[in-house]
Amino acid sequence: MKQQQKSSFKKFLRFLSDNTVTVLFVIICAVSIPLSGYSLTYLVSEIIVRMARDSFLIVSLLIPIMAGMGLNFGMTLGAMAAEIGLICICDWGVVGIPGIVLAAIISTPISILLGWWCGKILNLAKGREMVTSYIIGFFMNGIYQLVVLYCFGGIIPVRSSKLVLPRGYGIRNTVNLSGIRLKLDNLLAIRIGTISIPIGTFLIIAALCLFVLWFKKTKLGQDMRAVGQDMEVSRAAGIKVEHTRIISIIISTVLAGYGMIIYLQSMGTLNTYNSHTQVGMFSIAALLVGGASVSKANIRNVFLGVILFHLMFIVSPMAGKNLIGEAQLGEYFRVFVSYGVITLSLVLYELRKKRELGDEGAALAAGQKEEGK
Amino acid sequence: MSKKRLLIRLGTLVGVLLLAVLMYFVGREHTILVDDKSVGDYKALATVDVGVDKQKSMELAARDRDKFVVTSQSHSITIKFTDSNWNEQTITRKFKVPVGLDTVIISLPTLAANPDAPQADWLAEYIPPTVVVRQDTTSETVNTEDSFSF
Repeated sequence: MKQQQKSSFKKFLRFLSDNTVTVLFVIICAVSIPLSGYSLTYLVSEIIVRMARDSFLIVSLLIPIMAGMGLNFGMTLGAMAAEIGLICICDWGVVGIPGIVLAAIISTPISILLGWWCGKILNLAKGREMVTSYIIGFFMNGIYQLVVLYCFGGIIPVRSSKLVLPRGYGIRNTVNLSGIRLKLDNLLAIRIGTISIPIGTFLIIAALCLFVLWFKKTKLGQDMRAVGQDMEVSRAAGIKVEHTRIISIIISTVLAGYGMIIYLQSMGTLNTYNSHTQVGMFSIAALLVGGASVSKANIRNVFLGVILFHLMFIVSPMAGKNLIGEAQLGEYFRVFVSYGVITLSLVLYELRKKRELGDEGAALAAGQKEEGK
Repeated sequence: MSKKRLLIRLGTLVGVLLLAVLMYFVGREHTILVDDKSVGDYKALATVDVGVDKQKSMELAARDRDKFVVTSQSHSITIKFTDSNWNEQTITRKFKVPVGLDTVIISLPTLAANPDAPQADWLAEYIPPTVVVRQDTTSETVNTEDSFSF
């Protein structure tokens, strides 16, 4: 009886250590919700909006994790490609769903090119993919700024004076996306009381989830999983390891571009020089909050992560204001938590890896001891 | 690469390009100005009810001008007015907006006088009047710093 209790307690401890970040967020949310004073209807409505807005971006992270490349901070490359597509459609005056589709088509070749380039570099930095992709994001941001700030309106013709800076070249700080604002969210939207559910956007997200599930079962998907588990064994089995890794990054970058378009059509405004900078960080943080790790993530983690992470985002400013009369505290809190979550997850991942190695070593030693007897 | 695979890839590429062109034509936004001003021999209509496609119609008095914002190229315009013999007239015409034009202007008196005339007689490109403007000396500081506005 005692042994059974001990084993279930051990199981409980193992569950806690495996889901530390998620449990921590559940506790933070449980404390913050009553402090914020928001009604349940408001919270549900906000969560639905944010699920529709962010889920696609986060799902785009799953494939590189499957291929053992960790969390793809290079998804900002896809976001930049999407922004270029959106600037083009705003200039050409293409609106509505056709505008969204056209922006996606424009972003695709740019995303493929950037993804291929990023994948090539990551193949040179095996084992350090995350930090490398993070720095690639910064580097590419510089190139993006050069193109948008100096080439648009100069080398690349821009007709609309609403887009161009007063000096005659370069795109303004903010681009109004009123032509495509909420067009996807309002497609097939249904209303339950005061809550609007963007069915159109959710259908697209569901299609992407089905694609990811189907992709895992394909030959390429299986190759990616094999590469993710052991590159040398995969190479010996005849899998083109480098090629498979590049494809995983290309798919992730292209999907991130589409995700960014969905995100920005929901926002209605494009912050030309800033919108993409934090996308990678927040998407990764949300995925980790959902219980994912550097080497393992699934669709359940995406949705749980979006709900918990954004619930914290919604309630923390008001909770901070009600607690100490300072809404800014909540703002600082959510930024600090985003970085904190990523750090904590990485530390826990390393600790877990060490613990598993230790356990394996102990089991091996015990086996050898048995054999010696 | 096998021939079949190459053909599939080329076919996909062509398909995507065609889709992009289709999206451009379907989603292109145009402004249609409806103008009830006298043009040459055609006198402005005292009151006219104008509708473009299924958009809500609007009533214009003589010398009025208003606008409809539409997407894609093919549209129809319906005008209702009372002629000089006090008969209620309804004219419906289909028209195409040239894809390169942002704004076109439709002269309602010309359309009312010649409902069967070619489109070019009553629809033209709108060229905004040229006015002398001072050089824009305002500057916009570009903010390329990171922000946490998620």
